Amino acid sequence: MKRMPTLLGILAAIIVLAAAPAFAQDVVKIGQIEAQTGPNAIYGWMSSQGTALAVDEINKAGGFKVGGKTYKLQLVALDTRGEPKEASVQLKRLVEVDGAKYIFGPFLSNVFLAVRPYAGEFNGKILMWGGATRIHDYVGTPGHDFLMRTWNWDAGPNGFGELMVDQLVKQGVKKIALLYQNDQGGKVMEDIYIAMFKKKGIEARLDYFEPGTKDFSTVLAKIAAWKPDYLFPGYADSYIYDIVRQATETGQLKKFFLVRGSLGPGLKNKDALDEYMVYVPKYFEEAEKKDPKVQKFIKAYKDFYKRDFPYDQAPLCSSSCYDHVYMLVEAMKKAGTVDDPAAVKKALMGMTYEGMWTLRFDERGEEIFNFDVVRLKKGGALEVTHINPK
Amino acid sequence: MTQLVLGQVLNGAIVGSMYGIIALGITLTFGITGIVNFALGEFMMIGAYATFALAERGGLPYPVAVVPAACIAAAAGYLCNKAFFRFTRGNLVNGLLVSIGLISVFESAVLWYWSATPIEMHYVLPGAIRLGDVTLPKMKLLVFAVIVVVIVLTYVGLARTWLGRASFAYAQNAEAATLMGVHTERLVTAVMLYSTGLAGLGGALYASLYSLEPALGGVYVLKGMEAAILGGIGSLMGSLWGGVILGVIEAVGSIFLPTAFRDAYGLVVLVAILLFRPSGLFGDET
Repeated sequence: MKRMPTLLGILAAIIVLAAAPAFAQDVVKIGQIEAQTGPNAIYGWMSSQGTALAVDEINKAGGFKVGGKTYKLQLVALDTRGEPKEASVQLKRLVEVDGAKYIFGPFLSNVFLAVRPYAGEFNGKILMWGGATRIHDYVGTPGHDFLMRTWNWDAGPNGFGELMVDQLVKQGVKKIALLYQNDQGGKVMEDIYIAMFKKKGIEARLDYFEPGTKDFSTVLAKIAAWKPDYLFPGYADSYIYDIVRQATETGQLKKFFLVRGSLGPGLKNKDALDEYMVYVPKYFEEAEKKDPKVQKFIKAYKDFYKRDFPYDQAPLCSSSCYDHVYMLVEAMKKAGTVDDPAAVKKALMGMTYEGMWTLRFDERGEEIFNFDVVRLKKGGALEVTHINPK
Repeated sequence: MTQLVLGQVLNGAIVGSMYGIIALGITLTFGITGIVNFALGEFMMIGAYATFALAERGGLPYPVAVVPAACIAAAAGYLCNKAFFRFTRGNLVNGLLVSIGLISVFESAVLWYWSATPIEMHYVLPGAIRLGDVTLPKMKLLVFAVIVVVIVLTYVGLARTWLGRASFAYAQNAEAATLMGVHTERLVTAVMLYSTGLAGLGGALYASLYSLEPALGGVYVLKGMEAAILGGIGSLMGSLWGGVILGVIEAVGSIFLPTAFRDAYGLVVLVAILLFRPSGLFGDET
């Protein structure tokens, strides 16, 4: 009898070990590499929030069925802090240790460029969904079947940036000053927008600042002396807050044009500026009043995270986030497999998903979705334009 | 152009005074205890985050929050002195290593609690003052005034009081100062408390001007070090002037040269000055 507990223990261990592979097969792992913290975390933080929420909802609903088998999702979300080296190690872990075939992120171009060669070694074996602007250069090109870009492209007939610049042209804007951080994100925006402004007949000047800069007084004074109609500052809220504050506090520059970043810096300085025109994938304050899907998302967010809804960050959920988890699940169902990223990608390319956004991909694998352009006027008056790309 | 340059001379002086307050802490600590405290930037960061916590979370008015924030930084300095620095006196390398290690410890702690995402305080004193064509934010002018008063009071305090004379005596010859009745342990503790408190005050003032992130101290300690060397290590007023000159060089240099490299302009001038005055602009030549 004394041996009974030992025997029972061995038996229990055998049962657990035998059952383990069966459990493992019923889980689809989603890896995520995003900057959840750091100066450029504005993009990755909200993406990681929305992804975790969707995974939780799907699992609580009992998972999803593919080929007669029920699967649940497991999210392994790692914080890159915007550090390319850290992201490279994390991606290796996700692919080789965790065995994740579906990778959400990255949103930052410097991180994407660092992880691209490694991810390329798994071409056809993984599917990477990222919002990074530099993904545009690679998506749909040979050797990059693993890649899909979950963000509207700036230029071209469906480009949100081009459409916004057209609005500037209509207003008769002649001069615009660009103030970007001296990094990969800044360089890619230079590549896109300097040529675009030139094509549209708007004179542009570009100044760079060192990442980490807090005092922009000198460069703002230089820019103000040039007398631009608008200031087009960077892509990260961490800098845009300081730039908008310092520009408006001295009254040097009062009109802002942004294709990245949130409405937050404008709202904080609404009494000191004349105009703050910003691309917002969705203006949630307004959408909440009209769209039941948005209402459901906001309620679910508050219940899940037990905190206020981040209205200024939430628009970033348009990329590699909440809707995309549901879209991925639908694609797996359509493809009839959870293990073949190439087949899942094929299903994704042929579908339109109606979530908070209407999501679809062009022939290269770059996303096209509806978005809003918000114009904030002095005192806080807002004008929202809804755009549905063809 | 004249107005632009004039405006940036004033702006550079104000920004440079922030370097000056850190430089003052560096020069005091090194001059009296022989420790090169690279972690002073972290005490500045502690002061900044403490101000944010007290004013934004605790609901204290900003001017009230500044004092306890500086005290929190000083208390952290006191603990570091008791736990680490008192074992490194007279050993430059060990002191340097401890201070560099503390940078990682403090940054990681703040990163863990606050995350690296920048945070911003409410605007304490919004608006600007126009002086002809030059416009300067009111808060920046106030910060400048506070820093100048603090540095001048420190100078007067050290030049005119027994404690100040004792400090100079200790810096010149520690053994002789002890024989003359200077309680060296208390003196060194007081210097550590004051220099870290000063850095905390710098952080509290910084919080009213810029958004906060855990790495903010790293930038300022390097600028403070440059300012202290430029002004001359050991010279109290030199630290203020060093900071102001550095700030002006960066600001004016950025008008004529690309702003992306503004950090380099101060360094180039620093090297050039050190070639002719190795002890800095206001340092003792002997």
